[in-house]
Amino acid sequence: MANNFPTGFSRGAVEELSRLKNEPAWMLQKRLQAWDSYEQTPFPLGRRGDLGTLRIFSNFKFQQLSPYVAASSDDTLSAPIAQSLQEGLVDQRSGLFVQDNASVLRTELSEELKSKGVILTGLDSAVRDYPKLVQQYFMTECIPVASSKYTALHAAFWSGGVFLYIPKGVDIEDPILAQIWLSAPASAIFAHTLIIAEELSSVRYVEEHNSSFAGEQPSLFSSVVEVYVKNAAHVEFSNMQDLGPNVWTITNKNAVHEKDGSTTWVLADLGSHAMLSYIGVGLLGNGSAGELVGVFFTDHDQRYSINTLSDHAATATNAETLVKGVLTGESRVEFDGMIRVRPHAQQTASFLSDHTLLLSDSCRAESIPGLEIGANEVSASHGATTGKIDEEQLFYLMVRGIAREEAERIIVQGFFEPVLQRIPLENLRARLRRSIVRRMGQGYESETDTWIDAQERWEVEGVDEYAVSLNSPKEDEEIQLAEY
Amino acid sequence: MESELIIKNLHANIEGKPILRGVDLVVKKGEVHALMGPNGSGKSTLANVVMGNPKYEVTDGEIWFKGENILEYSPDRRARMRLFLAFQYPMSIPGVSVANFLRRSLEAVREGNKPLEEGENPTGKAAKRRSIPPGEFRKLLQDKMRLLKVDNSFINRSINDGFSGGEKKRAEILQMALLEPEISLMDETDSGLDIDALKIVSESVNALRGPNLGILLITHYQRMLNYITPDYVHVMFDGRIVKSGGPELAFELEDKGYEWLKPTDEENGVVVNG
Repeated sequence: MANNFPTGFSRGAVEELSRLKNEPAWMLQKRLQAWDSYEQTPFPLGRRGDLGTLRIFSNFKFQQLSPYVAASSDDTLSAPIAQSLQEGLVDQRSGLFVQDNASVLRTELSEELKSKGVILTGLDSAVRDYPKLVQQYFMTECIPVASSKYTALHAAFWSGGVFLYIPKGVDIEDPILAQIWLSAPASAIFAHTLIIAEELSSVRYVEEHNSSFAGEQPSLFSSVVEVYVKNAAHVEFSNMQDLGPNVWTITNKNAVHEKDGSTTWVLADLGSHAMLSYIGVGLLGNGSAGELVGVFFTDHDQRYSINTLSDHAATATNAETLVKGVLTGESRVEFDGMIRVRPHAQQTASFLSDHTLLLSDSCRAESIPGLEIGANEVSASHGATTGKIDEEQLFYLMVRGIAREEAERIIVQGFFEPVLQRIPLENLRARLRRSIVRRMGQGYESETDTWIDAQERWEVEGVDEYAVSLNSPKEDEEIQLAEY
Repeated sequence: MESELIIKNLHANIEGKPILRGVDLVVKKGEVHALMGPNGSGKSTLANVVMGNPKYEVTDGEIWFKGENILEYSPDRRARMRLFLAFQYPMSIPGVSVANFLRRSLEAVREGNKPLEEGENPTGKAAKRRSIPPGEFRKLLQDKMRLLKVDNSFINRSINDGFSGGEKKRAEILQMALLEPEISLMDETDSGLDIDALKIVSESVNALRGPNLGILLITHYQRMLNYITPDYVHVMFDGRIVKSGGPELAFELEDKGYEWLKPTDEENGVVVNG
């Protein structure tokens, strides 16, 4: 790793980074203001009695990290990256973006899309080439710099980054794949994604977060994703996080919508030692809609905190959030899901559900769904279930000859399947299934394939797509609100 | 090895409460036994205990199958020895398709009676398993479905999820047909069925009946026995088999009910199956 950048975060480091990148004065100013905001903001600590994910982040040794690590070479892809690109969306992608640490290694876009005016480039380059757009959209309205202490740190030290602009009326059917790699220990990566989908445009975008370094020394993966969805545009954003156990992750994602705009978020959070995830849909335009489908799997001593926000601020907006996850080992998961209906946001329909399955006695999950309703013509509900695998279900499978461990895996697969069915990209679905089976421990060699083939092969009529109910002990909370 | 299920003086509790209080029964391959008795007499418990349901605690007695005492075996190992239970209340497993599950189940059962270490504690490394080629499996399944007149759409649905009572019972018999057990325990397979469904299910059982299969048909009512003629009939009362006989016993029960068989005291209540 060619890296002479000093360890630790400071105002001086911000200036040094900006100089290194040869940035215009306005970006340096933005970074410095962000640094001031970071310094002035206390660490968020969470509630008393929660499972403590925020607190362990506040004790993370940020000052032992190097804030900027360039990739060792500007052109060659390391073996793990090359390997992973082979597997990911090979034939069907219309664009490719690869970032390794702070360096953008690849930006490729089909000629057709280029000719239509689509822009896919590193955000560093966009600062030079499209300063007006960056000034207008970068950490302003969607995720303002001072949203949290961590977004401020991100704004001060961001590097590399995806800039994707889709002009009016352009549909991007084949997905654009972005891979962001963290490959240095004791470092921080601040990956930023800025997507602007103009009126009546649409895009499918897949972003993968991976790491490829060994050892105990932790690194930080900070990610901010801002999506601007203009009139009647649609953005489908899939994010697969498969980081190693030596990575701490903080991610903020938000999409803001104009009239009739819509977003589908697909989240798969599988790795990382500790992860703080904030994800939102800002429904600012009449008739706009947001959908969030998320899966997670935690094991060992993983910590995961996911915070969703459906923010209804206009008339006739819809949101649906469905998160399902499985915990094993001594992992801890906090789910905080908020539906906010602002005054005058009439005709809102908003649904949120969170289902977790606990596979061990020492894992713990806490689910806090929240509703803030300021309008009176609203249909909103939330539900959360947490339970263990039903012994009677296990017995049933075992009586059919299947050993206990495999029976558990089958039930977990079935638990995830309805959510996986809602993931639009087949390739991503298949890889997710594989990752889940792998994480469930040492299965039979053929097992992953059995699951995948069986699902794909028999998929003629589909497999109960919305079978959500689990016959396990559950705590159900359903609140129906209509006209009060 | 002779495929015999031998139950000797079996006692079992659930949550400390004794349910089975000394059951003796022998079921051989090729035989059909009907086990009758009033609700709460322990019929379903017997089926569950024979399969190793961990909810029940065996406090005394033995269960032998194919010459091995299987009492310490896990349920999956018992199944891999080709012991089968058609459940009274089959569990639904959302998100797992019937086809997918049956293929894995068949692969497991074909592996046979493996020692505990291999069968139950995968060693950490990915174990090799003989998988059944999809084409072969599909053909096998479709043959069985044709035999039992099961609709094709079955296989794409989640296991028992949203199935009607009749569909669940037919799915159990489809599994039995596919897995080819040597001894099958059928727990109240007739309950919850209307007369048409009962006919279909009974025909299916008759289609599978033969010299290679022993059946213990657990039923509360005599009506299924109008369609399936058992070789032996046993009556269970308070956790024991109190009377055994030929098929005519079932008709006698229909006329006289169960009360006349109620044991008056501990001693003369026990009749060992002949």
